[in-house]
Amino acid sequence: MRVEFVEPFVRAGISVMESVSVGRPERGQLSMRHLKFTTQQVTIVAGVTGDVRGQVLYGMSLVTAEKIATAMLQEPVMTFDELATSAIAELGNMITGNAIMYLAEKGFNCVITPPSVIRGMNVEISTPVPALVVPLITQFGKVEINIALAEVAKQDQASTVGGDGQRGLSAVQQS
Amino acid sequence: MSKRVLIVDDAMFIRHTLKRIISEAGYQVAGEADNGQAGVEQYKNLKPDAVFLDITMPVMDGLQALQEIKTFDPNAVVIMCTALGQESMVMEALKAGAKDYIVKPFQPDRVINGLAKAIGS
Repeated sequence: MRVEFVEPFVRAGISVMESVSVGRPERGQLSMRHLKFTTQQVTIVAGVTGDVRGQVLYGMSLVTAEKIATAMLQEPVMTFDELATSAIAELGNMITGNAIMYLAEKGFNCVITPPSVIRGMNVEISTPVPALVVPLITQFGKVEINIALAEVAKQDQASTVGGDGQRGLSAVQQS
Repeated sequence: MSKRVLIVDDAMFIRHTLKRIISEAGYQVAGEADNGQAGVEQYKNLKPDAVFLDITMPVMDGLQALQEIKTFDPNAVVIMCTALGQESMVMEALKAGAKDYIVKPFQPDRVINGLAKAIGS
């Protein structure tokens, strides 16, 4: 868990939300959450693997999710159906995808897994590392980004580093 | 006759949005698939003029699907459309024969311009 992993997600969250007609969100206070936490009404789970591994979870209320899906689809969401769920999942996918592009600029090369959406409050989720939490406050309500990522130990990836000098250098500088 | 386009993306939302954008621009949606393997099969059956192909998908990812489509038809026009924008991924796709690379979230103009440049309007 490193604070430097937060900025790419905040930057990506702001630019993606602006681009999908949600509008520019405000950044809330950064906090830390321990290994377990309970879900909000709608939670998107995206996996990250590569130089940095773990999960990023995006939590929001159902009302917020419906309003965001309406903005993304440019048509009213009457019930939170498969299409609306897919829009919300894609929001998580786009923010995570854009964020790992910024992580790549810092020398961390990663890929993401297709997102899942959990519906229902108080589902207990355990993450392998404590999460850094940053809320983005949109005109439709709060979207909480939980970043539970850790850099993979160098010996674990020795076989995959293969000539990527930039990556090695940045690891030395940051340690 | 309008040009035919295949859409391959696991997200129903993206298929829905792309369908709307490209049909409003006068193209025909030949078909859609929600993973890379189904996309390759659809390509073989439908022989569309162009394909929009996501990368992060279950069953078979878009980079592998791109290779299989290009093996089947070296002249296939494939436009990658993905949330992954890092340079290494873009280079890999272009080297494997992708015609264009669109990073999500996209604006309708970007999709239509990419398509027009690749196959004409």
